[in-house]
Amino acid sequence: MFWQPGMMPIQLLMTLGVIFVLFVIGHTFIKKTFGKGIPMLGQGALVMLAAYITFKFVITPPIPYSLLVTYMGLVGLVTALYISATEAQWSETKKPIINTLLGVTPTYRGVRAVAFVAIPLFMGWQTYTSIAPPKEFPEPPELRTVHPAPPQAIKVHDKNFTLQTAKNPFRVDAKGEYLEVGKEQAFFDSNPWDPKAEGYLKYVREGGAVFFRNCHFCHGDNLDGRGIFAYAWRPIPANLADPGTIAQLQETFVFWRISKGGMNAPREINPWDSAMPPWEEHLATDDIWKVALFEYWHTGFFPRTWD
Amino acid sequence: MSDSQIRPTSTSGRSRWAAWALIGGAVMLAGGALVLARAHAEEKKAPEAAGTSYRPEKPTDDQVARGAKVFFKECVWCHGPEGAGDGPGALRLWPRPRNFNAGTFKIRTTASGELPTDDDLFLTVTNGLPGSAMPSWEGVLTEQQRKDVVAFVKTKMVKDRNFQDKDEEFHVISFDGQVPSSAESIKRGQDVFLNKGKCVQCHGPEGRGNGNLTQKDDWGFPIFPADLHQCYNFRGNRRDPYNPRNIFREVSTGLNGTPMPSFADVLTVQDRWDVANFVISLCPKVKIDPITVKPTINFVLTSDFVNGALPTTADDPKWNTVEPHFVGLGGQITRKPQNFNRRIEEVWVKSLYNKDSIAFLLEWDDRNESHAEGPNLPPPVNVADLTIPVAYYANKMVFDEVKDQFKDLYPGEKYPEPVIYNDAVEIQFPAEWQKLVAPERPFFILGDPIKPVDLWKWQSDGSVVAYTGHGINGANGDPEIVPRKTVIKAEDAHFKNGRWYVILTRSLKTDDKENDVQFDVNKYIPISFQAWDGDNGEAGARMSLSAWYYVVLKPLTPTKAYVYPFIMIGIVVGLQWWVIRKTQSIHNGNGGRSGAKKK
Repeated sequence: MFWQPGMMPIQLLMTLGVIFVLFVIGHTFIKKTFGKGIPMLGQGALVMLAAYITFKFVITPPIPYSLLVTYMGLVGLVTALYISATEAQWSETKKPIINTLLGVTPTYRGVRAVAFVAIPLFMGWQTYTSIAPPKEFPEPPELRTVHPAPPQAIKVHDKNFTLQTAKNPFRVDAKGEYLEVGKEQAFFDSNPWDPKAEGYLKYVREGGAVFFRNCHFCHGDNLDGRGIFAYAWRPIPANLADPGTIAQLQETFVFWRISKGGMNAPREINPWDSAMPPWEEHLATDDIWKVALFEYWHTGFFPRTWD
Repeated sequence: MSDSQIRPTSTSGRSRWAAWALIGGAVMLAGGALVLARAHAEEKKAPEAAGTSYRPEKPTDDQVARGAKVFFKECVWCHGPEGAGDGPGALRLWPRPRNFNAGTFKIRTTASGELPTDDDLFLTVTNGLPGSAMPSWEGVLTEQQRKDVVAFVKTKMVKDRNFQDKDEEFHVISFDGQVPSSAESIKRGQDVFLNKGKCVQCHGPEGRGNGNLTQKDDWGFPIFPADLHQCYNFRGNRRDPYNPRNIFREVSTGLNGTPMPSFADVLTVQDRWDVANFVISLCPKVKIDPITVKPTINFVLTSDFVNGALPTTADDPKWNTVEPHFVGLGGQITRKPQNFNRRIEEVWVKSLYNKDSIAFLLEWDDRNESHAEGPNLPPPVNVADLTIPVAYYANKMVFDEVKDQFKDLYPGEKYPEPVIYNDAVEIQFPAEWQKLVAPERPFFILGDPIKPVDLWKWQSDGSVVAYTGHGINGANGDPEIVPRKTVIKAEDAHFKNGRWYVILTRSLKTDDKENDVQFDVNKYIPISFQAWDGDNGEAGARMSLSAWYYVVLKPLTPTKAYVYPFIMIGIVVGLQWWVIRKTQSIHNGNGGRSGAKKK
């Protein structure tokens, strides 16, 4: 329609203004054509309906419920003020209600009969649903922190690692020089199974072997957290290919999480639900560094660094 | 403007409405046509025409080079650098990754023994092979990348055959003459299954894949017939598990490399469609998660109230009032001993309760009924070593033949003799769930020292105990089972045609408030499940297990829910009557104060 996502409040006011003008024109036309306009109560109801449709369906992206309530409240207030502005208008507004209550014509009597059967039945139904126990039992939402604060240092296989300063010993080129984060991009397109691969690329291959013997059962062949066990776990395994996981983290953070697993992680991740093994119980330290190297190579992400 | 121009006359008014209706109709038709055109454009391209005219495309060098790049990033880890299905991942996978060298492919539209079409391979890469570690590569690899990697595999990894060889024949099957599913077709299909096709011989009397457990594939590895009740685990289901076309295709072409032959010569086209409809009818109709190709898991299961005694047999009609609840099980690989090659992947649970007790009916497929040969001691930690090949536990009966084969593949590794343990199942609850602040729970793998769990364990020797879990004892790798006095009853525990049925019953409340889970109605009580396949070397902490679910004992509707609404109706009617009387007295008694019409 004439509403585009991202339109500013001025455009909203203009949209409402256009609707208002159209309404006035339409009402005048109806008055001239049929001799009488829509009763005041009906006009008020139409305005509320038009406003609701605009707020709920025309405006994109959808506005939050609280905002919808605020806007409808404002429109309702203005409408109420208008239809009760003068004594004449107020009595015109009340007329259909009073006519219904008194049943002045057969039509009004019919409407009264229908309404006065529907309202008690509706109230009875509401009472029942509020007392009767629920039939549906939805899963309760459970919040957890995905990236808790890491400890300052950890001990893996009797060796201490200070997480802020430790470096991946396998992040080296063929000559054994440390590869600054970013430099490994040169190898992202290379073949780690090239028999002549040395340094970084060779360790990527060895890390891949570790990954596909241990990790892919949960984290998947695509590293997307959809391995063959993933459907059984809750929460599901981390999607390493998503930019919100290892791409946001330092390499030592990943080293910590792999070594210590979920059951030894801080309380805010809900460790009681985590199937993530403490891999220090199953793998050598070198294997853990290599598998971290492999994960970054495969996903094409760089670990976070201080600079 | 004059009145006659403003007020529409009947004919011009009608023609105006007609004009609008026409425009509106035209807009709708155009929109509908657009939608249909788009839908057609998105339809997958039609499969190859049936017959012998199909010839595969010759891949270009560019394609093969691009495919190599994809292969050595994504595929080599399982399929190996020479495509021999011996990549590092193959160590712990069963079924093993495909060995491409012989050109043997399972899921095809070509006759038995023939090479697949390009589209067959493309669809395998796109959809993956559910029930195995081969994932769907759609969304990860572009369509071009998938075609390229197929080209690479065909050219460089298939070594014993040549797709372009003039002597290679491609008899593409026809899917014409599909018989829609109906009660009659399913009945005929059952007859084919039992008699004409003799599918029961391998797939078992109920089709749970337990008919023949001694078979091997072309490479000498153990292979089991498919459990036909798990259609979402069929390799060739193309992520469309309930489509009988998949069964028709497998039955018509056979699965190369496996003992599953083609039945095209033995069964007519109608037979094959009938048996396809029958096989699909065996699979429970549930909502399938399109990404995992497994039933969507609802982590809240409910227990319904029944009047009178709880059922004591699995076929009691009282169980029919509840839907079976799917519980997914993963292998326990968090602590030693790790169970990468778990055999039990799912348990179906039903629960009923009455005013005293609660009962859980657990059903799960297990191809082999296992009973421990000696004392059912769990395997020592170092048995499930890193280096033990996974198919080791697949089948004791062929173990000796397989053992030598693995000695060559993985020289220097330890292969202890396989031990058979009891089949078992276990239900786990937090011991004192009322004291927990949600969402905190005990560690889902058998509890932890601070928050213990109440465990109800049944084993195939008929024993059932309640014991407390404090987690896995790191040194031994298994939980300490010290039975408590609490009585759990196991009813009607029996194994039939490849499926276990066990009912575990206990009173809602017990005296041991500290160790026994106490059941309250209308509360979310955490629950989880573990299972053991005794002839897969599973015992102790070497098991399949589920995540934490919740069980809710559904409350009954109280009497007041039926009484109060009528009271409310009475009040509202009274109010209405009062409002009318009041309005009448205002407007009629005072002579039309508000101007309402008098008559």
